[in-house]
Amino acid sequence: MNILLILLAKFIFYFSRLFNIGSGGTWPGEVALRLNKSILISFLNQANKGVIIVAGTNGKTTTSKMISELLTGTVIKNYSGANLLNGLVSAFIINCSLTGKIVVDWAVLEVDENTLPLLLPELIEYDKKLIIVLLNLFRDQLDRYGEVDTIAKRWEKSLMNMPKATLILNADDPQIAYLGATSNAIVKYFGIEKPEHFLESREHAVDSIYCPKCGNKLIFEGIYLSHIGVWACTKCGLKRPTIEKHSWISPLLGIHNEYNTIASVTVALEAGVDKERIEKILSTFLPAFGRQETIEIEGKKVKIMLAKNPAGFNINLKTIIKQNPKTLLVVLNDRIPDGHDVSWIYDVDFEMIPDDVTVIVSGDRVYDMGLRIKYAMKHLIVKENLREAIQKGLSEIIKGETLYVLPTYSAMLEVRKILKGRKIL
Amino acid sequence: MNYKLTIGWLYPDLMSTYGDRGNIICLDKRCSWRNIETKILRIDFDTSLKDLETCNLIIGGGAQDRQQELAIDDLLNNKGKTLKQMFEKDIPGLFVCGSPQLLGHYYMTGDGKKLPGLGIFDYVTKHFGHDKPRCIGNTTGEISSKFKNTIVGFENHGGRTYLAKNCLPFAKVLKGFGNNGEDGTEGAVYKNVIACYYHGPFLPKNPHIADWLIATSLAVKYGKDIQLEPLDDTLEWQAHNFMLKKLNIKYEKESNRT
Repeated sequence: MNILLILLAKFIFYFSRLFNIGSGGTWPGEVALRLNKSILISFLNQANKGVIIVAGTNGKTTTSKMISELLTGTVIKNYSGANLLNGLVSAFIINCSLTGKIVVDWAVLEVDENTLPLLLPELIEYDKKLIIVLLNLFRDQLDRYGEVDTIAKRWEKSLMNMPKATLILNADDPQIAYLGATSNAIVKYFGIEKPEHFLESREHAVDSIYCPKCGNKLIFEGIYLSHIGVWACTKCGLKRPTIEKHSWISPLLGIHNEYNTIASVTVALEAGVDKERIEKILSTFLPAFGRQETIEIEGKKVKIMLAKNPAGFNINLKTIIKQNPKTLLVVLNDRIPDGHDVSWIYDVDFEMIPDDVTVIVSGDRVYDMGLRIKYAMKHLIVKENLREAIQKGLSEIIKGETLYVLPTYSAMLEVRKILKGRKIL
Repeated sequence: MNYKLTIGWLYPDLMSTYGDRGNIICLDKRCSWRNIETKILRIDFDTSLKDLETCNLIIGGGAQDRQQELAIDDLLNNKGKTLKQMFEKDIPGLFVCGSPQLLGHYYMTGDGKKLPGLGIFDYVTKHFGHDKPRCIGNTTGEISSKFKNTIVGFENHGGRTYLAKNCLPFAKVLKGFGNNGEDGTEGAVYKNVIACYYHGPFLPKNPHIADWLIATSLAVKYGKDIQLEPLDDTLEWQAHNFMLKKLNIKYEKESNRT
């Protein structure tokens, strides 16, 4: 390993952190990758036990955090959001010795949808444990990712020849489940069997309701969210694979977190973690930042629930509504991590918000968000300034009550900065 | 008198990729706020021609490739002729995102396959393969004589459309790619049908187009001009003007808007 290269990349990390410029989570890796293309695999080869890859539109950060905590031994993981190749490499650069040595049992990598097909070819010959857990595929940032079908096809191609890997797939997402039929990897499925949680009516934003094998319209015995449920094709006979029954209790609210939990547990069991440990870790699990994270301010609570695409937004809204909220704050930004296109807000079923709830809107695209709420005919307050929007939200609730904040990615960082900095008080 | 409109929503399951539903929500609410009764007819494979003919306004959106093929099949084999006759009788329509590609003479796919279109508009669309970058980004245009002022939105298309000489464009591109990134035209208009590459929820930020569609549908249905009650569109124009500003467009007639 090239000492100069590591030194340079480490320098970039400390430099960018010191002067608070750019992102220390991606720059060092970007530079290192340009100078040495095989640097990532040389790091991964040093993990004593193996590599766990987590991909999917929603739930990556929560699931990889949960897996990291469930595993025994030492774990290295990438920063949430830094999930392109440069982010993965940066995680190692920051933690390795000057000679590029890293002493760790497991590497847990949260990987972007587009990056997964770039990473897998490097791991075909990987001879320690390789577990790939795939959570779901929903419409998300069409301008960046393209259509769901396109991503599914690229994943299918890159998974076809991975004979040494163990694939852990969501049986309830038709396109994800079908990846198990076309891959030569060892395949395990997870899913949920709780018919009492089936939706009463279908959401508007559904992406995979056609058979991934023959294209015929699928029938659903029941749906938990978006197009995730118990499905079958009446034409070619493809159907949701059988899953093992389980009784793990999700430490976070919402059916989506039941999926994240069972996915994490399936990985942990595969990695040899015992059930007592799993139970113990789950019972004290705390959410990742911005994912149901609660911040207290003068006896009032602010719950931040990252909402960056229709499926995630809908499930967050449903979860919040069950808590009888008084006030919501929706913050819509359109920067690079959010996607420049904000059309997707019309795929979110804001109509489900009860009429007595006040919806405050803010963010770069405050008027677009306001319009969406106006056309859903909810009680609307428009606040261009985010700080004022948060203040307004807090003024609408009393001690002990919760202000629910639904921000896009960059908006979530801004909201946290304001709340954690306590500058509004 | 109580007015009624039936709005036909083309293949809502197939052609609703990214917020296209916003156009239906917008039309529906702007009618109901004026006490115009609406019926939203979801047009699917099994919708009869008789039901299709009850529509006073037709709305189409974007689809993924596989879904678009299913839709064009049904249009060519079953519903296309009826739709064409309706448009000839001045029934208005709005086709956004990928749906304009179904309405020209043909659509040439990236690998050179020529898919026939409905031939409503005098244009052709070509996809030059995945090596040629898609046309993606915020966009704005100046609308031609039939309408007024500007339109704003977001475009994301791989196909490039070329209008024939006599085909009237919907707008002149102020910022963005438009039909093909070359000739400065955006979309097309035939009789009362608008084709436009702006995708998803086009109408909420362009309420003048929404109201033009409503007023024209009523005029065609009832055979007389009907004055629409004005609505409070402050937020609509704030969103519209925000995009003009973001794209550095100074539009003189901005203050003339109602």
